[in-house]
Formats: sequence, C-alpha cells, structure tokens
Amino acid sequence: MWKLKRDYGMLVVLIGLCVLFSALTLNDQMPEGDQAAQQVAKNLDAKVDKNAVILAVGAANKPSASFAGKANDLLQEKGFKQSRLVVGTPRDLRQALDQVRQNGDIVSAIATTGDVPEWRLIEILPEKYPEFASCVLETPKPYKWPDFLKRSNLLAIVDRIVVIAVIAIGMTMVIITAGIDLSVGSLIALSAVISTSLMKLWGGLEASGWIVLLGFLAGTLACGGVGAAGGFIVARFKVPPFITTLAIMMIGRGLAFMITGGFSIYQVPSSLTWLGQGRSMGIPNTVILLILLYAAAHIFMTYTRLGRHIYAVGGNEEASRLSGISVSGVIVFVYIVSSLAAGLGGCIQASQLNSGTPNMGIMYELYVIAAVVVGGTSLSGGSGRILGTLIGAFIISVIQNGMNLLGIESYTQQVVLGAVIVGGVLLDKARTGKKQTTRKAEKEVQR
Amino acid sequence: MKVKRTSIRRAMGCLLFGIVLGTWAQGQTKGKIGMTCMDLTNPFFKLIANVMEKEAAKYDYELLALDANNDPAKQNNQLSDFVAQGCAAIFLNPADSRAAGEGVKKAHAAGIPVFTFDVQVTDKEAAPLVESHIGSDNFQGGRLAGESMLKVTGGKGKIAILSYPEVTSCILRVDGFKKVLQQTPTELKIVSELSGRGNRNDGYNTTTDMLQAHSDIVGIFAINDPSALGAHSAVVKAGKQDQITVIGFDASPAGKQAVFEKKLYDSPQQFPRKMAKGTVDAFIRYMEGEDVAKKIFIPCEHYYYENAVKDPSREKEQW
Repeated sequence: MWKLKRDYGMLVVLIGLCVLFSALTLNDQMPEGDQAAQQVAKNLDAKVDKNAVILAVGAANKPSASFAGKANDLLQEKGFKQSRLVVGTPRDLRQALDQVRQNGDIVSAIATTGDVPEWRLIEILPEKYPEFASCVLETPKPYKWPDFLKRSNLLAIVDRIVVIAVIAIGMTMVIITAGIDLSVGSLIALSAVISTSLMKLWGGLEASGWIVLLGFLAGTLACGGVGAAGGFIVARFKVPPFITTLAIMMIGRGLAFMITGGFSIYQVPSSLTWLGQGRSMGIPNTVILLILLYAAAHIFMTYTRLGRHIYAVGGNEEASRLSGISVSGVIVFVYIVSSLAAGLGGCIQASQLNSGTPNMGIMYELYVIAAVVVGGTSLSGGSGRILGTLIGAFIISVIQNGMNLLGIESYTQQVVLGAVIVGGVLLDKARTGKKQTTRKAEKEVQR
Repeated sequence: MKVKRTSIRRAMGCLLFGIVLGTWAQGQTKGKIGMTCMDLTNPFFKLIANVMEKEAAKYDYELLALDANNDPAKQNNQLSDFVAQGCAAIFLNPADSRAAGEGVKKAHAAGIPVFTFDVQVTDKEAAPLVESHIGSDNFQGGRLAGESMLKVTGGKGKIAILSYPEVTSCILRVDGFKKVLQQTPTELKIVSELSGRGNRNDGYNTTTDMLQAHSDIVGIFAINDPSALGAHSAVVKAGKQDQITVIGFDASPAGKQAVFEKKLYDSPQQFPRKMAKGTVDAFIRYMEGEDVAKKIFIPCEHYYYENAVKDPSREKEQW
C-alpha cells in the first residue's frame, strides 16, 4: 500500500482535482426517471381538477422525452383525460399552447423536468397568454449532484484524452530510453489523412467496414514505417532524437498537406465513426481500447525481457551494451512503437471527427510529453511507469474539462494548465525527493 | 516529514473550502450558453464574444466563450463539455465546417439548440440540425467588391484575385465577385487566382509572384483585409501603386485605416456587432417558442474613402 502511494503519488493529485471540480460544479439537477414522473403525477393529482388541461412537456432528448411520456401516461391513468404530451423545442410548446387557446380551453398545469422550466416561453407565459396566468408549473424535487460527475461528462473526459493517452504509451517508452519524439503530432495528421484518403479512394461514402479497417491499418503502418526510419537514424548515426524527430515532424506535416492539397477529407463511410464514437456492450470503444492498450503496455514493460531492456538502455546505455543488450534494436523499437501509437491516435481522431484534416494534432506532442512527465517519467531516462502516464493524461484531461465546466476564459486556461503541470511535478518531486537524490548521488559516484 | 504533510493537506483543504464558498456566493444565472469560435485571439471574434456576453446578460444568461485555436478536435471536445454541463444553447463558429458536424449531432441528441455564426456547418447530416445560422452575406459582399472593381478600372484590363479556398465564406466572396463580372458586359479579365491564405505574409508573397507573371494587371481583389494589405505592400515594392488598385474585404480596423490612407479602394464591410446581437436574438426567439429563420444573412456595405473620413470608429481602431 505504501509502495503504491509512493509509486503513484500523482494519483493523489488526480483524485484531489476530481474532488475539487466535483465540489465546484455541484448543481441542482432535475430527476428524469420514472419515479420523478410518478412524483409529479401524484402532486398534480392532489392539486388540479380532473377535467383540467395538463401539458406533459419534455425537451428533445431521450431522458426528458421519456419522463414526459411516462408522466402523461400516469396522468391519463389517474383520470386526467385532458392531459397531453408535448416533446420537442419551445416552438412545439408554443404551438401546443396556441392550440389549447384556439379550442377555448385553459392550461391549468405544465408537468415537466430538466431544462424546460428555464425556457423563456415558460417565464413569459403570464404575459403572452394572460388567460393561462394561473397555470401551475409542476416539477420533481431537484437534487444536488456535480456536473463533473455526470456520466456523460466522465465519458467526455475519456473521449478528449484518448488520442493523447494512446500516444503517451509510446512516448513513455521513448522517454524512458532518454529520448524524445516530437513527430507524434504531425503523425496524427499523416495517419488520419492517409487512412481517410484511402477510404475515399476505395469506395467513399459506401465503403464497407473492412475498407475502414484497411485504411486504419495503412495509416498506422505508414506512421510505423516513418518511426522505423527515425529510430534507425537515431540509433545508427547517433543524431540526437530531438533533431531527428523535429525533422520528421516537419516532413510528416508537409506530407499530410501534400496528400490532401490542404483540404479536409470527408467523403468517408459512416462506419468510420465506430472506433472513436461507437460502443460495444454499452461501453464506449475508446474506453475499451484504452484499458486494453494500457494493460498490455504495463505487462510488457514490467514482465517482459524487452520491456526491462528499455529501462536498462535509459538507465545506462554503455552498461546495457556491455551486458549484451542490443541497444540499437531497443531504440529503433521504441520509436516504431511511438509512431505506431501516433498513427493509431490519428485513426481515433479521424473517427471522432468523421474526417481527416492535415492540421490535426498541432501541438499534441507537447501535451503528450506533458502527460508522460506529469505521470512521473523522468526526462533523463531510466525510470517511469506506464500507469503513471495514464494518470498524467487524465490529470490534463480533467483540468481542461473542469475549467470548461467552470467557464474559465480560454486565455486563463492555458496559464492554469501550465501552472498545474509544474505544480504537479514539483509536488511529486517533493514526495519522492529523498529517493531521487540518493539515486543522483549514486550516479555521481558511478561517474 | 509527517508534520509537513498534514500541514500541506490542511492548506489544500482551506483552499478548496474557500473556492467552494466563493462559487456559491457568486449567485445563480438562468443558464449558460456555450460559445466556441475558431480563433479568439482574432479581434473580430473577441468583439463578437464581448457583444454576445453583454446581450446574453440582458436575459440573465452567462456566456462561456472558448477558443478552439483552429483545432477541430479541440472544438469537438469543447462541444462535448457544453453538452455535459447542460448548456441552454451552443453558439458555434466552426473551426472546420465538416468536422464540427460531429459535435452538432451530439448537442442535438441532448436537446441543446445549436446556432452557428459567421461560418456555416456544411456536413450533410448535421447542417439541418443547426437551429439557425447568422452570418454576413458573403456572396453579396463579393458582388460589392466586383462592382467597385468595375467602377475603378472602368471595365478594362487584367485583374487578379487573392483567394482562400479552404474557407467557405471566402469562396462565396470570390463567387460573388465573379458573378458581377459575368453579368456585366466588360473587358475585365481575371488572369490569376491564387491563395493568399488570408494573411498578410502570404498575401505579400503571392502578389509578388503574381506581379512577376503579370506585370500589367490593373486591379487585385483580396478576400480579406490582411491579405489585401499584404498585396498592397507587394504592389508598392514593385512601384506599381499608381497602376494597380487593391480591394479588400471586412473593413477591419486595419482595413478602415488603409482605406482612409487610400491604400485600399474599397473594403466591403462586415458587421460583427450585428452578427453577435443577431445570434443572441435568434436564441431568445427560439426560447420564446417563436419561429426562427434557418439562415439570417446580414448584408455587407461598401466602405470607401468617403465612409472612412467620417467614421469615428476608424480613429478608435474599432470594427
């Protein structure tokens, strides 16, 4: 337990952020289930005459509409023959009100939930329809719950980070070998553009799921090829990774623009959205993908020989060579993984946006590196954890999402995000400081 | 060490408590409107955001204005956040006319009305889901530029266009411009149409190249003021300012000043304030249950030297 706490100190920061944003976004929520409908019907039963006209109003979304449907059914059951169902926009409600007025009736009550009570039409009802001034607005009792912890928001947090989190797996490995990969942002665009162009070429809007899969494969593998070339240059010619991947970054972005001629590609089959927006067994595919990839990467880095070699190369290249590890092989391998991950990230982004655009993924390399570093991986190599990176990615996502929920201005957001990254890393350093200093001392002695 | 940790915790606890108290004390508005635009560092959009905020506040709505940094993925995330927190409406200026469709579909499924401004969503499935679009009539504005070009050249000679084919509104401007030339019997001939990418630097470079190929052109129409000003710099560098008339678009603060200094002959004016107010009005009408037109176009107007001289907003460097 103590070890877990030390290893994943950033988890504390993540949980702290979640608690903070939950507290800050605590809000009145209107219940929308069947129970809420029963409550509303019961209250109206006690208040309103059986012959009165009642409108059960729901907004144009599933929970709200089903609430209104249920409320209307219950009211009919209780003997309110004049109860009517209205589902849609304020315009639909206005039309329903107009119709009641035309029939010479009076609306005695409106049963509703969610955002409907906030509609301006309801607010100005007494002025616009003076004859309905006595209309009762019946809503279920609101409860307090944070916007942040709503199911739809938690899924949005995963959705926004999935591309960065996937790429961060490869980046973690690269950084553990004391390298860096600046090309991943451009490779997102390259992969997205290659895969969507192929889909367009091989059938466009009517292409089958297999074509989509082939397109994804081609985009990802093309990036893998680029990564292999980059890794080879780093390993064989000892060109600093910063320079090599900087060059690839430019080449990749340029290629993406060349392939599309600067336009976005949108003539793609609808099955493209399956990966980034679809669900399997009720769980979003992005969530499943993240869990699978991180589980595999964690096992790989912790329990396989090659995984341990990556740490060894980052810790001390010379010692690794002397102990018989193929250092070049390891280095080429991590750059291939990083590029494949970037390629996959590009496919996910293309799927989320249902198109391929050459200006996708600009600046993403920096977010990915931030996620890795916040996750506790040292830029000087030799140490770091895959699951720490996942936590780091989520910290960034939670901050971005939380600030959007709080309505913090875009300019301020960048400042806050930067400050939290620095603060998070400093906090982590303070926690594990002792360990790190001794290590450093050991290194000094070794030299 | 132990003491230190508890004190950190205490400090964090106090901070959290303070922030919570602070937010609760803020008081409630009727709801939030989520707004995201392609580039909030552009004064055009900053002004729109400010006017929208003021107009929305009149009806007790709070505006959350976010910057998409021209990144369609980022904008898509922002739209998801707006949906998650149950915004009353979304005002959208797509960073990418197609990709923004995914966010529009999500908002529509959650029953949140989407209003686009300035740039339309062109995704086939998503476009009908947008409640209303409020924007400048770019085609008509392009026609105005064409009329000015005919007037200033006397309908004779070779002209060039600095386009920006990535952006729908800019395509429409060029279309409107060409339409006028088609409809009028004229000897004007478009000899070159290249992308100035809507900015000063590319406008300058592209025009320099154009002048190499066609040294005898008499007029240039650029789809916005920055690229028009770039074109003008290139014309001056080539020493052809007496031969070539440059026409811009937008009547941005810099464009107004340039018209005043007679660097540009005309810059058909857009009205960001009207656009912002129109968007909020459309939303309020929607919430009142009124019918809202699917597309509301604000006509552009000529902006000549005569307009610039008596325009107080020019000196204040405003739109």
